[in-house]
Amino acid sequence: MGVEEPHGRGPRAAERLIRHTLTDRLFHWGTAVSILILLGTAFLPILGWEFPWVGVHWITGILLTVLVIFHAVRASFWQDLRSMWVGLDDLRSGVDLVRWTLRLAEAPPGLSGKYSLAQKLIHHLFTLVIIVTIGTGCLMLVKIDTPWWERDPYWLAEGTWGVIYVLHDLAALLLITMLIAHVYFALRPEKLHFTRSMILGWITRSEYEKHHDPGRWRLDTE
Amino acid sequence: MELFRFSRNVWGQEILQGMSWELLPIFFGAGVAFVIGHMLYRWLLAPKQK
Repeated sequence: MGVEEPHGRGPRAAERLIRHTLTDRLFHWGTAVSILILLGTAFLPILGWEFPWVGVHWITGILLTVLVIFHAVRASFWQDLRSMWVGLDDLRSGVDLVRWTLRLAEAPPGLSGKYSLAQKLIHHLFTLVIIVTIGTGCLMLVKIDTPWWERDPYWLAEGTWGVIYVLHDLAALLLITMLIAHVYFALRPEKLHFTRSMILGWITRSEYEKHHDPGRWRLDTE
Repeated sequence: MELFRFSRNVWGQEILQGMSWELLPIFFGAGVAFVIGHMLYRWLLAPKQK
């Protein structure tokens, strides 16, 4: 798919271009629902809403683990990993953004590829925090009865379990802050086309040309 | 405010139980503060795109 309209005002400006395929959107919203259920089953009982949360929590945790493994494999072998990689161009854009924000430069930073530096950084932060919750959560499964094994609370030393709990709790608390920021940016007026593309899959050619550098994100690469 | 939760095992030793839940409003508040701070920044200070 080529890019021919230089300013996005031609008859093709409203043409719909795919930003997120159905598989990617299902992954995103599946992950979102899983995390909301996990945060709800983790924190609502602490806030006083008593209900049997353990079963829902660990089953949803396993679902999230499967989703993340699926995404990691798909992104590694069937998608362009470089679209999420932080490269020198991103770092230059970051420096340009800081200079423009501090009014040290008159021109705004150049256009991004498929993802901006901020989007890449929040993706990587979510990746790190979710991997910590999944890793520690899978270890904690040893301490509950499941259809596959009986609980063994003595599998690790008490001190080691304490560190695992701290990491799991800290990651969960961080997810609250990150989720608020993520939803806020998704609802900001200038970002709504990204949100729409995560729901419906597409952006317009006009949006593509306004927000993206065709040299850094060729639509025929994914 | 406590950072961690502790309990005691059958031998009376103090054992780590995780992060303190007193931190829950802190992390929630940090998210809300970030949103308000960014909105104010965009409204009052951010350079406007020409």
